[in-house]
Amino acid sequence: MIQVEQLTKIYGANTAIDHLDFTVAKGEIVGFLGVNGAGKSTTMRILAGALGATSGRALLGGVDVFEKPKAVKRLLGYLPEFPPLYTDMTVRGFLRFTARIKGAQNPIEATERVISRVALDSVAHRLIDHLSKGYRQRVGIAQALVHDPRILILDEPTSGLDPAQRVEIRNLVRELASGDVTIILSTHVLSEIEAICKRVIIIDRGRIVAQDTLAGLFGAGTSIRVKVARPSDDLATRIAGIPGVLKVEVSDGGDLVVGAERDVREAVARATVDAGLLELTGNRALEDVFLALTGGGTR
Amino acid sequence: MNVVHIAGRELRATFSNAVGWLVLCGFLLLTGYFWITQLDLFVTESANLVFNPYGAPTMTISVHLLGQFFGNTLVVLVMVIPALSMRLFSEEIRGRTLELLLTSPVSTLEIVLGKYLGALSFVALMLLSMSYAPLSLLAWTDSLDWGALFGGYLSWLLASAALLSLGMFVSSITTSQMVALVLSFSASLMLYVLSWSADDPDSWMVQLSLGAHVEDLVRGAVRASDLAYFGGLTAFFLFATHQRLESFRWK
Repeated sequence: MIQVEQLTKIYGANTAIDHLDFTVAKGEIVGFLGVNGAGKSTTMRILAGALGATSGRALLGGVDVFEKPKAVKRLLGYLPEFPPLYTDMTVRGFLRFTARIKGAQNPIEATERVISRVALDSVAHRLIDHLSKGYRQRVGIAQALVHDPRILILDEPTSGLDPAQRVEIRNLVRELASGDVTIILSTHVLSEIEAICKRVIIIDRGRIVAQDTLAGLFGAGTSIRVKVARPSDDLATRIAGIPGVLKVEVSDGGDLVVGAERDVREAVARATVDAGLLELTGNRALEDVFLALTGGGTR
Repeated sequence: MNVVHIAGRELRATFSNAVGWLVLCGFLLLTGYFWITQLDLFVTESANLVFNPYGAPTMTISVHLLGQFFGNTLVVLVMVIPALSMRLFSEEIRGRTLELLLTSPVSTLEIVLGKYLGALSFVALMLLSMSYAPLSLLAWTDSLDWGALFGGYLSWLLASAALLSLGMFVSSITTSQMVALVLSFSASLMLYVLSWSADDPDSWMVQLSLGAHVEDLVRGAVRASDLAYFGGLTAFFLFATHQRLESFRWK
């Protein structure tokens, strides 16, 4: 349903995304992961038609984004990182307007449908300016859904929501995907990816560093978290010297996060016994995979 | 249809915005003042003519009242149109709502025309709201010169269309409404005063200035060159705005 080939975007001397290649099948939910500035939003904005690409191709539903933008946008619902809302309008008025410009079959009916779907009934008559952040985010999601798109691109759909609202949105996204809607979503909340997505694309400095199912990433034996009683730089150097180890990071809590190209748990256990090995967690958390692949931090 | 939807939203937004109402009030206040002054001058001078022993040329309502009024109030449009145009795109860029339009199945031309026509409808309503003044003359005279009135309104509308288009372009190159206001007001004022320092009526400064092109219109004479001037100015800045929006997609 989504096919991206060699997509590149260069701003002056800065390469925002660098020859991206990926595909997303119909009905699939794919998580887009990366630190701030990795190129997630840029990629999403290009797919949504808000931004041009320097080179490469992107096909949505078999239609080229750059050659037939209007046809692609009819298929597409897009929620940017900052929901685009006319705050001087009421929720209902705004959604009717978006339903009309997005070419919904029956704008008034479509508006009422999306209002009840995203649970906005109680605030439908209110000015968007007077809504809380959580409700604004929901109106943002509603505008992406109002014309029943076949493809959804959601840039951090749950940011600013409280835990209960997050669960609601997660359920909504899952429900949409079961109805054959193809979804790409990015988030900073890794547990969300684990809860919703079947597949993850990890992007770092504009390049795809991993593209796999969650099971594939977890089972690869490439990331280990080690807690020791006496951490030292010397220990980190020693672990880094183990064949197969790619990088060693020290987390905030003093834990060592080891990234490796194969399962190195036994060798790491042996190397850390003298430093007072307390705990060695195999490759269980998406955070670890993510940190191991991207080096963590923000840019 | 997209143009109509976007224009409708724009018109409603202008009415739900304090600036829209302030501009409307400012326009009515200033043009009202101009009207009273002009009317007072016309009545006083006409009365003086009655006692003129040398049979001086007569004064007509068309030229000495309506023509003067519509010509003089051009400066009011130079002042109020930038206040209306300043938020057109700068607000959309700043509030990131432009992204909604850019990612909807709407062409850039439809976005530009929709926003423009929405704002122009507000201007048209604003101009019409002033019609009480010239129409009030019907209380004293049966023979109002409808040609001069039409010409006056046409000059207002054409000048507003050009100034609005200029202001909309300026608003598309900045995220600050204040910067858009100052820049478009300066540019509009420049267009207005351009002819003041020129002696030769054929010089480019006169040809490019707003005032020179409303002179005949306010007398009820519609000339192709004046229509081409206002049409050209409007089309040029609409095109520039279109290219500016396209650059978001391709830069």
